[in-house]
Amino acid sequence: MTVTSLRRLILIFLLLALGVALSIASPAFLTLGNIMTLLQEASLIGIIAVGFTFVMITGGIDISVGAIVGFAAMICVNFLVYSSLPVWLFVPVVIAIGGLIGLVNGFFITRFRLPEFIVTLATRGVLTGLALVIAVKSGGFVENVFIQDPAYLWFGSKIGPVHVVTIAFILIAIIGQVLLKQTRFGTNVYATGANRTAAKLSGVNTDRIQFGVYAMTGICSAIAAVFLSARMMTGMPEMGAGSELMVIAAVVIGGTSFTGGVGDIPGTVLGVLFLALIQNGILKLGLSPYVQPIVIGGIITLTVIVDVWYKSLAERMISRAARQRRAQIAGQTQA
Amino acid sequence: MLKAKWLVVLVCLVIAASAVTGCASSGEPRTSASGDTAASSAPAADSAPAAPAEGGVYKVAYVPTMIGQPVTNAWMTGLERVFSQFDNVEFQAFDPQMKAETQVSMVEDLINQGYNAIVLQPVDAAALSAAVQEAENKGIAVVTLNTPVKAKHTAVVQMADVEAGYAVGEAMCKQLNNTGNVAIIQSPPGATLGVNREKGFRDALAKTCPDVKVVGAQNGEWNKDKAITIMNSFLQSNSDLDGVFAVNDTMAEGAIVAAESAGRLQDIKIWGANGQSSALALIEQGKMAGTAYNNSYDQGATAANLIMYLLSSKMGPGKGPETGVIKITPFAATQENVGEIQQADRW
Repeated sequence: MTVTSLRRLILIFLLLALGVALSIASPAFLTLGNIMTLLQEASLIGIIAVGFTFVMITGGIDISVGAIVGFAAMICVNFLVYSSLPVWLFVPVVIAIGGLIGLVNGFFITRFRLPEFIVTLATRGVLTGLALVIAVKSGGFVENVFIQDPAYLWFGSKIGPVHVVTIAFILIAIIGQVLLKQTRFGTNVYATGANRTAAKLSGVNTDRIQFGVYAMTGICSAIAAVFLSARMMTGMPEMGAGSELMVIAAVVIGGTSFTGGVGDIPGTVLGVLFLALIQNGILKLGLSPYVQPIVIGGIITLTVIVDVWYKSLAERMISRAARQRRAQIAGQTQA
Repeated sequence: MLKAKWLVVLVCLVIAASAVTGCASSGEPRTSASGDTAASSAPAADSAPAAPAEGGVYKVAYVPTMIGQPVTNAWMTGLERVFSQFDNVEFQAFDPQMKAETQVSMVEDLINQGYNAIVLQPVDAAALSAAVQEAENKGIAVVTLNTPVKAKHTAVVQMADVEAGYAVGEAMCKQLNNTGNVAIIQSPPGATLGVNREKGFRDALAKTCPDVKVVGAQNGEWNKDKAITIMNSFLQSNSDLDGVFAVNDTMAEGAIVAAESAGRLQDIKIWGANGQSSALALIEQGKMAGTAYNNSYDQGATAANLIMYLLSSKMGPGKGPETGVIKITPFAATQENVGEIQQADRW
């Protein structure tokens, strides 16, 4: 068993243990309605996290995802208020705009060799401002529009007991994993993150890969914006603000490394589920709101400690086994 | 070896889990919760008033925009004062930390948990509408504080917002002898309460003293730090500034800090709104010109009484064609009349 798959098992185990603890603590936890709400929460963050995983595997970071959500939501609202275009026509346009913003990030990062953090931080600021500028106003004040177009609200609805966004998340996660593991693009993403110079020398166009991954997070963020605004029946300029931290946390808990070259989509999905589980469960424990953030922080820290501790333990065991085998082989050759 | 390590991990987890569940059982009796599963897993019972959980216990949730601010704390105290008189009410507060997304998911979670009533201060009027509608359809009465959501719901208990701004505007006109320059420290765009206070204020200026000019308006995001920054820029760009209206007291306090360190506090009439005890103290010291005082204990208690009426009469969410409105009228508290506010009413 490899270290990665062992680590995956640990996370699954922790996830289940937490789930069992929560279902014992509150009978409201293990109900169909609650599980579906939990998955809906997870999916909104998860869709962004899929794109983000690609960026992080290349060793980059994208702080602008939350701002893209707010901006894209405001574009949707503008289409809904000022145009009579059908939903199926403008939603792809909005998603394409998300991709375009990602390309702008990629442009500044590759052309001017600027740090990813700074570029996307700047984009985040610009988009937050733009979202306010294009927001629908009445008498000079931002007015958050109450969306009532049934075609648009479909994105926030359910098919049977399952939310549409959850289905979208599953599809996007599958596409992401296939793209990452089965295509040349995916291989090049890993290569770029593991060692950019080596990748470049072996003929990988790392600039193009970076363009690609930032465009992907942009697209994913815009998709999340559509689902989020449909669910909330409004677009708000500040929507999505701060969600980048949740996304980063989920991706890192899922085993993707900050330094790049390591990670995959199933890990991210687990990370997303884990965070959603904690946030959903904490509400049912009857804790004081002052204590809740402390408990959330505590559980995350505990998990990461167990995870990292067990990973190093596994690595030690593997290297010990290797040493023993070497010693064995050495003994055989001597004899 | 491997097995021993697994055992350690297991023990750690069991301890962690028991700690979590231990906290839970101290917070809410297990028995009350057992009936809720039935309520939440039977969404078919649409629009029927939510039955109390087993043993006749009602669960009431309080979801303000943010826990730990003077106003939201005062409401919580007001709510608790009423609910603590009833043995059959469980009261629980939640903190969405000023984020509409979090607040929506909290309300949906409360529906799943089978709460009987929700006291909500929406972060945004439009964003919370769908969730509130769903709660009311499932028989959960929702009473909003200050900002009503756009969908019809049981009731809103609000500080009169436009009126509060208007009262401040009129009082400011008088203090400035109908002439001068004023600036506004705004709330975040889309925050109905702050926006309406500002509207009322501008209205009053336009009607009562058109010679008073508004020379600047910036978003202080409800908080003190940001208000200090904004006030500094107002001070730098306006050598002649006579009045400031910050749409809440916390921001007014920030403006006072900035004006004081620039040595211009005595020239500038700084007004806030809400009437929290720290602001009243500043008014008494003569540092703050005034505030639109509102008794927030009373506001919380009013919402709680309304909910107890609905729950005890088994009426469920309001059945009327429109959202009920209860207004708590503020008054402009200045140095002359601030003494009239009783110590017990200061929050």
